[in-house]
Amino acid sequence: MTGAQAAGLPTREADSAAASAVKALQAEGRLAEARERYAELVARHQRRAARIAFHYLRDSAEADEAVQDALVKAYSHLASFREELPFEVWFTRILINGCLDRIKARTRRERWFVSMPESPHGQRDFTDRVAGSGPSPEDQVLGRERRQKLAAALARLPERQRSVFMLSHYEGCTSREVSALTGLNESTVRVHLFRAIRRLRTLLTEDGASSAAGGEKRRVTS
Amino acid sequence: MSLLSRNRAHRHLGDDEFADLWSTAVASGEPVADPHLAACAQCRARYAAFTAWLDGIHDDAVGEAEGAFPPERLATQQAQIMRRLEALERPARVIAFPRFARPATSTQGHAQRWVAAAAAAGLVIGLAAGQFFDVRYIFTPMRTSPPVPQQNARLATPPPSIGGPSVVPASVSSSVSDETLFFGGDQTRISERLSTLRSMDDITPRARDLDRPR
Repeated sequence: MTGAQAAGLPTREADSAAASAVKALQAEGRLAEARERYAELVARHQRRAARIAFHYLRDSAEADEAVQDALVKAYSHLASFREELPFEVWFTRILINGCLDRIKARTRRERWFVSMPESPHGQRDFTDRVAGSGPSPEDQVLGRERRQKLAAALARLPERQRSVFMLSHYEGCTSREVSALTGLNESTVRVHLFRAIRRLRTLLTEDGASSAAGGEKRRVTS
Repeated sequence: MSLLSRNRAHRHLGDDEFADLWSTAVASGEPVADPHLAACAQCRARYAAFTAWLDGIHDDAVGEAEGAFPPERLATQQAQIMRRLEALERPARVIAFPRFARPATSTQGHAQRWVAAAAAAGLVIGLAAGQFFDVRYIFTPMRTSPPVPQQNARLATPPPSIGGPSVVPASVSSSVSDETLFFGGDQTRISERLSTLRSMDDITPRARDLDRPR
């Protein structure tokens, strides 16, 4: 059972009911109540939205802004929300479009500005690196390396394949849900998912093989 | 059974087939159903490794994203969203520059604009009319110059320059008197006005009187 299915229909119904209620309150001019009711929806979708935005943007600050923008935009455009479409789908579309816009803007920016090299410990604070009850430093390094490789491989996928893969595999959406989110046919979603996995497998295996070969070479020369 | 499926049933599965099986299962939300996989233990083991690899990717990606957004950060984010929603409902304030501080929607601005436009239009019309009509001609009583009598050209000649040759304009006749030049040819009018002017001339101090040493 996928994650979205596990979320269950009652949640969807509750979402739709809450969205309709907020819409009605907005129309009546009871804005404080509308905001209060909308806070429920925010709390319910925030975590998932942050995850999706982070997968797209690979930067927590930018993902944070993207989520905020999407939730504010959804609230201010709630009048155009149609009840027959699940709120989750409608909102996720807004979020994904926002993320794609940010990626485009970033690409344009990077054409003109040279970005600073990332610190070896990413954005984590020094206190995070202090030995604690978490995984060992070696595990942390290996895990980070693995994630970087995966992120690099994902970045090499075409945009649609990447979207379909992330929504299907990371968020557990079915092809029908991905189809609703991306506007692609269900059969096209399946094809993109298949291609994305095949390409990722090739990229990550090649990468692993080349790094292993490099290690062998280093051992021979030393 | 299709040809592809029959071929698949007789040979071991590769990564492409695994990807196909897995993506079909994920897309439909149903478990994998493949006859070869059900029959071949070797392929089943390889498929299990393949799904484990994909699960590893999932766990890494989701773990990283969850790590980037701990509950405290999500709470801050929610508070920020609520603040933004509240700000959205407040009308936007226009902060004017102090020197020109005045309400942006006042009707005074419109009136001023109309006055300025009317003044500019009046100026333009006045200039255009001035080009077509010479106003001085309209208000002047005599439009044609009278015949010039040939008397007393004393004032018409330029003052003699000191030490230089005197230059007399060719167009001015030396025989025309100043009185005739100013007042036309009417002798009675000339004598009346001259008497007035002379009495004024008598009481006006001369420059030579002022320069005289005391």
